[in-house]
Amino acid sequence: MIKNIQMFSYNMAARVLQQCVRSLGRPSLRLCPVNLALRAAVAPAVTVHRPFSFAADSRRTRWLGQSRISSVGLLCRQYGDLPPLTLETIKDRVLYVLKLYDKINPEKLQVTSHFMKDLGLDSLDQVEIIMAMEDEFGFEIPDAEAEKLMTPEEIVQYIADKKDVYE
Amino acid sequence: MGSRLPPAALSLKQFLQRQKVLGVYRSMLRTIRQVPDEADRKYLRDWAREEFKRNKNATNQDAIRMMITQATNHLEELQKSLLLAKS
Repeated sequence: MIKNIQMFSYNMAARVLQQCVRSLGRPSLRLCPVNLALRAAVAPAVTVHRPFSFAADSRRTRWLGQSRISSVGLLCRQYGDLPPLTLETIKDRVLYVLKLYDKINPEKLQVTSHFMKDLGLDSLDQVEIIMAMEDEFGFEIPDAEAEKLMTPEEIVQYIADKKDVYE
Repeated sequence: MGSRLPPAALSLKQFLQRQKVLGVYRSMLRTIRQVPDEADRKYLRDWAREEFKRNKNATNQDAIRMMITQATNHLEELQKSLLLAKS
């Protein structure tokens, strides 16, 4: 439970930091993401009980008040975000998740192998696979579109489509 | 004019039922994700998988409908317990 709160507040810290730094009109401030994240993790339950209220002006002012802005005058912004997605990385992650799935033979797995025709899986397995993809990439795939994804290639296309990855 | 459908094609009712079963399975997996303990999650996932796979080859529409209702009941129970656990 405590670990969940810390992880939650760390995630919140990363996201709110992104929001804060963007909405700050002053380019001369340098907010160090690490300090803020630690501070958020240490801060008591007050910060945790604000679910996704990004318009948390009070939070921003509290952080500005708390954080010792180390060196003012440096035009350096440090955002917290995930590494950018490319088609290659999406494909690697999809294949990695598929190899971890116990019903798939890793040697037979190709980008174009059809789940039902080539790999001998059934629709229940396909549901599980799509759920695993949702977990891996962190966004929900609705039912109607999920049932059409029958090869790793299609999954990669779909994710690239949803995440606006062009190459 | 003879029907051009392959012999293994499902009728509309069967097709809809199949979609419903897959929908229940998906909702079940999504609900199981919210269970706090990892070991419990694994146990519940394996249980759900077993149950669905065991009855995979049922053909009687009424039996299938009963099983869908049962699964939905289990799902609602699980959701209620999760709500209680969270509060």
